[in-house]
Amino acid sequence: MENRLEMRGMTKRYGDFTANDNVSFTLKEGEVHAIVGENGAGKTTLMRMLYGMEQPTAGEIAVNGKPVVFRGPEDAIRHGIGMVHQHFMLFPDFTVAENIVIGYEPQRKGLFQRKEAASAVRSLSERYRIPINENAKVSSCSVGEQQRVEILKVLYQGADIIVLDEPTAVLTPLEVKELLQTIRHLAESGKSVILITHKLQEVMEVADRVTVLRGGRVTGTVSRSETNADDLARMMVGRELQQLSDRVRLEGKPLLRVQGLNVREKQTLVDDVTFSVHHGEIVGIAGVSGNGQSELLEALTGLRAVSEGKVYLGEKDVTGQSVAAIREAGLAHIPEDRYLWGTAKRESVEENALMGYQRKPEYMRRGVVLRSKFRRVVEEWVERFAIKTGSLHLKEQAGNLSGGNLQKLIVARELGQNTPLLIAAEPTRGVDIGAMEYIHQALLEKRNNGDGILLVSSELTEILALSDRILVMYKGRIAGELTRSEATEEKISVLMAGGSVYGSSQAAM
Amino acid sequence: MAAVKQLCKSLVQPLLAVIIGLLTGALVIAAVGESIIGTYQEMWKGAFGSFYFLTSTLARATPIMLIGLGLSLAFRAGVFNLGAEGQMVTGAISATLVALYLPAPGFVKMVAALVTGVLAGGLWSLFAGYLEARFRIQLLISSLLLNYVAVLFAGYLVSEPFQDKTGSAAMAQTPMLEKSVWLPKLFAGMSVHAGFLFALAAALLIFFVIRYTPFGYEVKMLGQNPFFSRYGGVNRVRVMLTGMFFSGGLAGLAGTVEVLGSHYRYVEGALTLPNFAWTGLMATLLANSHPIGVVFTSLLLAALQTGAMGVERNTDVPLELASVIQAVLILFISAKFSYDWWKNRNNKRRESHGAV
Repeated sequence: MENRLEMRGMTKRYGDFTANDNVSFTLKEGEVHAIVGENGAGKTTLMRMLYGMEQPTAGEIAVNGKPVVFRGPEDAIRHGIGMVHQHFMLFPDFTVAENIVIGYEPQRKGLFQRKEAASAVRSLSERYRIPINENAKVSSCSVGEQQRVEILKVLYQGADIIVLDEPTAVLTPLEVKELLQTIRHLAESGKSVILITHKLQEVMEVADRVTVLRGGRVTGTVSRSETNADDLARMMVGRELQQLSDRVRLEGKPLLRVQGLNVREKQTLVDDVTFSVHHGEIVGIAGVSGNGQSELLEALTGLRAVSEGKVYLGEKDVTGQSVAAIREAGLAHIPEDRYLWGTAKRESVEENALMGYQRKPEYMRRGVVLRSKFRRVVEEWVERFAIKTGSLHLKEQAGNLSGGNLQKLIVARELGQNTPLLIAAEPTRGVDIGAMEYIHQALLEKRNNGDGILLVSSELTEILALSDRILVMYKGRIAGELTRSEATEEKISVLMAGGSVYGSSQAAM
Repeated sequence: MAAVKQLCKSLVQPLLAVIIGLLTGALVIAAVGESIIGTYQEMWKGAFGSFYFLTSTLARATPIMLIGLGLSLAFRAGVFNLGAEGQMVTGAISATLVALYLPAPGFVKMVAALVTGVLAGGLWSLFAGYLEARFRIQLLISSLLLNYVAVLFAGYLVSEPFQDKTGSAAMAQTPMLEKSVWLPKLFAGMSVHAGFLFALAAALLIFFVIRYTPFGYEVKMLGQNPFFSRYGGVNRVRVMLTGMFFSGGLAGLAGTVEVLGSHYRYVEGALTLPNFAWTGLMATLLANSHPIGVVFTSLLLAALQTGAMGVERNTDVPLELASVIQAVLILFISAKFSYDWWKNRNNKRRESHGAV
């Protein structure tokens, strides 16, 4: 089979930094070719060069055997390359059909032909078996539907090569399954798909070949039949993966007790939630994001008003207390969104580390913060978590740290509080495998020391790897509870989608 | 080394803005048809040309600096206090009344007047903060509108109940304060008074508070990311109200030292016509809310103004030249244009040449 796309010796340098070093990549007709690698491995740079958003320092691209130079995305689109970005670029107030035809609208005498657009989209959707309601407004579409709109958009633009950038990050397990089917179907009907991801199971499910990038170089291109997820992970990280340390069996007293918690704001966001976290236990909350997890955590940490119900931390009633009071009572918090809640990007590493410690008596004398004493503590964190701070070290702007390093800083800061309870929300979102291992290990150690952890994550693998008990949230309620031994990805997925698990120990709540 | 580099980096932008401001001023001078070099020489002489002019510049900088410092504290916390004028006037009129009518010995009266000035300005400012905390009335709007209330009410007080009736012409002003409450001049016969020292002390104090105290840390982080500081347990309302109080208090002090140190009575318009409050705001913007920076930018803006008076005395270029230069300065600073643009341009050039 002829190569539909060839990229040879692609190199991209930014100053001293080489983002892509002599990367070669081929894509056949009807092939799904996955590109995997950690953050910063150069996946994005490679795709930006393919899509004409960056000019390569060296290397050449050939489409259907003919060498091409892309000066911008328009050139790439003209040569049949379509990109589905991680963040959708849709107009929420336009209909699905309008969003798909945008830029290439069917026209007659300069007038937009709405009906023609709708029927074109209709037939496209049938041909590629991508279900869609072409007349719905995008603002009323689910995330999965919006993604399908994006895919149809590039198909409408005539793409033969479809680049999907981390397409499953935002989807429910069910939607992921559908998307993988769509990808297979696209390949069968002759399209070529480049799948950029860090989820190796999905790669093993759908890809024909896999190219692994590490540090801007290709560490290997293998066909799926010759590899497995563990091998791929080793190629990505460049070493053996660590095993999590054993979990000590602990029978602790209840630490956090939540009783009949309600959060209402125009509509009910958290609906009659009751659960507890014990000492020496990690309780995982699974769920598609947007099912009340964020609001629950905000209510627990004092960031949001509790409408009804009680929250006890140890023996203390902390319902409706201020953030400072709840922290004082023994709670630390790794926030869900590290840029919004977890850091001040323009301040230094040291200033970001100080948050939550600024009024601690051990770092204060006569009303003055003991900076040098605190700095030594931060140095310890940086060392223990191997945080790469950059040239200015503790004076470096937090915003200049990579996502993984910034997250490690936040984790170190909150673990450093040494509180009995830790709330960890999406603790490894968007961090590379190395940082993820560190963070998981640290959480498990905290648990083994007899502290309690409430873990919220939209990554099922993370929930399953760490939790002693798993709660699933759906539409603001706890849809089910599973113990570590009975939990499987399938059971959780069903609960996440609003179904129920028969034959489990799920209490009738 | 890194710290020095950082400092230089933060100075480049204001300096560049000053240069562009002066170049724009040159265009204005050329349009009027005067000699550019000559006019700027006159301006320099008017601001620093002799000991007398130098001290006038310092005197002019005093209220600007105090107001700018107060605003820098508020801005650091992300609180956009636009009510400095009203706070200054409220402080000044309250202090004047205490200095006039408190039955106490002179020195006690002076101290009481200063304290009253700070308290009155602070409380007036706190009122705007309270409106936001309690009723969610935007501070930007309430603080701005409260200026009119304060200025007009003070105007009423000095033209009706507390007017000086002794003179033949009925001016809108209070009677003269007795000598014992006057702030001492720093040099005999020169206009700069002890208020200037207060301003310098306030600058150091604010610098210290922001840098070393938990409150200062919370102010800074609240300004940088309010979500992050809430998450970290910072009480936003408390920090905001405290910031507003001290911000207004310093504006009140600015008005008070003007009364006790140069006018010796509250004269309607004497604080508002020279635009102290708005110049103070510009000084803060120019210094990017850095308290030590405010000392220098207030001196710069005061020098522009006193210098422009010199220009008007000795040439045909109008006083408004200073306003033009000021406006250009602010434009360039707030657009964050000059330095970033320069930096990007250099980077691009390096990239296109492929030199690493």
